[in-house]
Amino acid sequence: MSDQPPVNKKQEPEETDAQREGAREGRTIAQRREQMRKSRSAAMGGARRAVASTLAPVTRWWGPFRQKIDENSKWSLPLIGFVAVAIAALLPFLGEFIELPDWLARATSGSALSRVALFTLFALGLNVVVGFAGLLDLGYVAFWAIGAYTAGILSGAQTATRCDQLGLGNCPDAEWNMFMWLIIPAAIVTATIAGLILGSPTLRLRGDYLAIVTLGAGEIVRIVANNLDSITGGPRGIRNIPHPAITIGDFNLEWGTLLDTKYYWLMLFFVVLWIIAIRMLDHSRIGRAWVAIREDEVAAAAMGVSIVRMKLAAFVIGACTAGVGGVIYAQQVNFINPPTFSIIQSILILTMVVVGGMGSIGGSILGAAIVVLLPEVFKEFEDYRFFFFGAALVVVMIFRPQGVLPSKRRKAELLGAAHDEGLYDAQHGGE
Amino acid sequence: MDCFTDIADQFWAQTRNGLTLGSIYAMIALGYTMVYGVLQLINFAHSEVFMVSTFATLYSLRNWYGVEQMPEGFGIVVLMIGAIIPAMLASGLTALAVERFAYRPLRRRGAPRLSFLISAIGASLFIQYLFVLMDGSHYLGPIPLPGIAGPNPQTVPSIIERSQVFSIFGTSFSNKHLIVIIAAGVMLFILDRFVNQTKLGRGIRAVAQDAEAASIMGVNIDRVVVVTFLVGGLMAGAAGFFYSAILPGAPAFWFVGFLPGIKAFTAAVLGGIGNIRGAMLGGLLLGLVEAYSVPCFGSQWTNVTAFVVLVLVLLFRPTGILGEAT
Repeated sequence: MSDQPPVNKKQEPEETDAQREGAREGRTIAQRREQMRKSRSAAMGGARRAVASTLAPVTRWWGPFRQKIDENSKWSLPLIGFVAVAIAALLPFLGEFIELPDWLARATSGSALSRVALFTLFALGLNVVVGFAGLLDLGYVAFWAIGAYTAGILSGAQTATRCDQLGLGNCPDAEWNMFMWLIIPAAIVTATIAGLILGSPTLRLRGDYLAIVTLGAGEIVRIVANNLDSITGGPRGIRNIPHPAITIGDFNLEWGTLLDTKYYWLMLFFVVLWIIAIRMLDHSRIGRAWVAIREDEVAAAAMGVSIVRMKLAAFVIGACTAGVGGVIYAQQVNFINPPTFSIIQSILILTMVVVGGMGSIGGSILGAAIVVLLPEVFKEFEDYRFFFFGAALVVVMIFRPQGVLPSKRRKAELLGAAHDEGLYDAQHGGE
Repeated sequence: MDCFTDIADQFWAQTRNGLTLGSIYAMIALGYTMVYGVLQLINFAHSEVFMVSTFATLYSLRNWYGVEQMPEGFGIVVLMIGAIIPAMLASGLTALAVERFAYRPLRRRGAPRLSFLISAIGASLFIQYLFVLMDGSHYLGPIPLPGIAGPNPQTVPSIIERSQVFSIFGTSFSNKHLIVIIAAGVMLFILDRFVNQTKLGRGIRAVAQDAEAASIMGVNIDRVVVVTFLVGGLMAGAAGFFYSAILPGAPAFWFVGFLPGIKAFTAAVLGGIGNIRGAMLGGLLLGLVEAYSVPCFGSQWTNVTAFVVLVLVLLFRPTGILGEAT
């Protein structure tokens, strides 16, 4: 009997061995998969916790503040918006009140700020496409180009430039063939048409194919602008696009050359307009449809959301925004040529959206400010700009995929981390 | 109708050009298609993997071998092997670095697909501008960057003289065309055997079919992914060597990868992405389509033709000619 304990001890490992054997037989591949998934999500949780703990001081302050805003959103949001716009509008005067260090003076100069405002507009537009609807558009610059060329052609600058180049003599000066506020709607129309032409066939594709197709489309627009000499002026571009002006009776407001601070306020006006419009869209039925599509395309379709139409809406809204920005850009710079609209611009705008936080309006503004002003602030490192942007994109994707200022909805989705398998994957797979 | 008579007139010349360029596309397309097969993601940085090899070719030819004059006879073969190896290694290592730093951390935490794509764009920018900065006057912290690249295109010395080997219907096939077509054919054949007949190749195919099941069956997924990137990189490196040192006119340039990259991707989609033989077929077809479009629309529209082909393929047959299966 005294032998029993050792026997028991011997039995124990035997039992566990048997258990393991049974488990090895009994556990199906599906169960093991489940376990693998669990361990993977546990690893994800660990990384997220680490990020969360480093950001804890910020969230501690921001959380209650944000909550207060949300509780009284009826009056607090317009108030905050108004104060923010007022501060933004007064930024160019900062140097007149206090002595600024060199880098800050550069960052608050009219030209730097108008670039920020312009790219904020683009980032807001691309944010609708990428952040709201979850479509990766790498050819966004195409719509910027379309807007700019619309302005160049409709203002009569193109005919003047061309007449000049052909040496016909007696060339008319480029002047407003159309009033500026008519060119902007015209650019919206052309950008919408371009967006529909590009979007309606391609938005049926799954995400990564869409990225490549839009990338190609961006190049096509640039090449077409380069090759169609008679319409776009070819590689020599369009010169002397008139600056905007408003004349009502005795009241005359004229915008000057590139460095005029008035461009900043013009763009700020459009940015504010767009922010209000996009906020309203985001909180409308369409905005909810976009969330549904992003989260689960199949379920959204089952609930009656028209996937392609909603995607197309986002794509076209993004296109219009770029078109408007393109018009103002063309009028400010007053010279456009195809190399301006190279692929790198699309990627810069995408960087703004991603670094700022996809789906977040504040993120788009912050992203545009970071990407435009960083090289301005670190003038001596300007050569390194894209190098660091590249690294930043990778690092942001690894450590903070939701961006610096994530939107609440988007954050919730990323924590859910579903694989975005599209409805049309399933359809094409079945064909 | 003009168009068709033009094509008929230049049929053999354009076929030759198309096959040559198509072989290059096919070799680059393999990298896209293999990575897609294994990870279901478009390796956006693959065009930079290709780009690096043009600089490696330039560097080895200029600084190691000091090519001023073209060698004769057997010397050419030695020189070609001596230059293709560093090109392939440089691209292979770049591909591994991209996998290690831009993809693996995301893979570890099961990130959504959009994150991979953006991370790849980041890696692509990083590599491009690393080469822009390598003009000998820039520093990375305290470390000076070597002056091997820079913002301007640099001509790669051509290592063989063009000579006619034979002609079909009045169209001369030069040694350059033949070297590219034959070498590409041999490498594609070896790759095909590697994937279909070796143990590692079987692992690659298994992971492509079902990564989780493959890992349960004992396939080391990380190893398979590394091998996939390495093989794709080696092929892109060889393509870069042919593109810059054998074919005339292509410089070593930080942006040189963009167009061949996007076209190779088109080729991969055309043949059926994830499908290795599809990528080869797609590459050749795309090269031919581009070449035949030259007499019709003029050479300034070839790039547009390629993109239009891409859109049409994605619209009407998104799984490609041979389907997506590996």
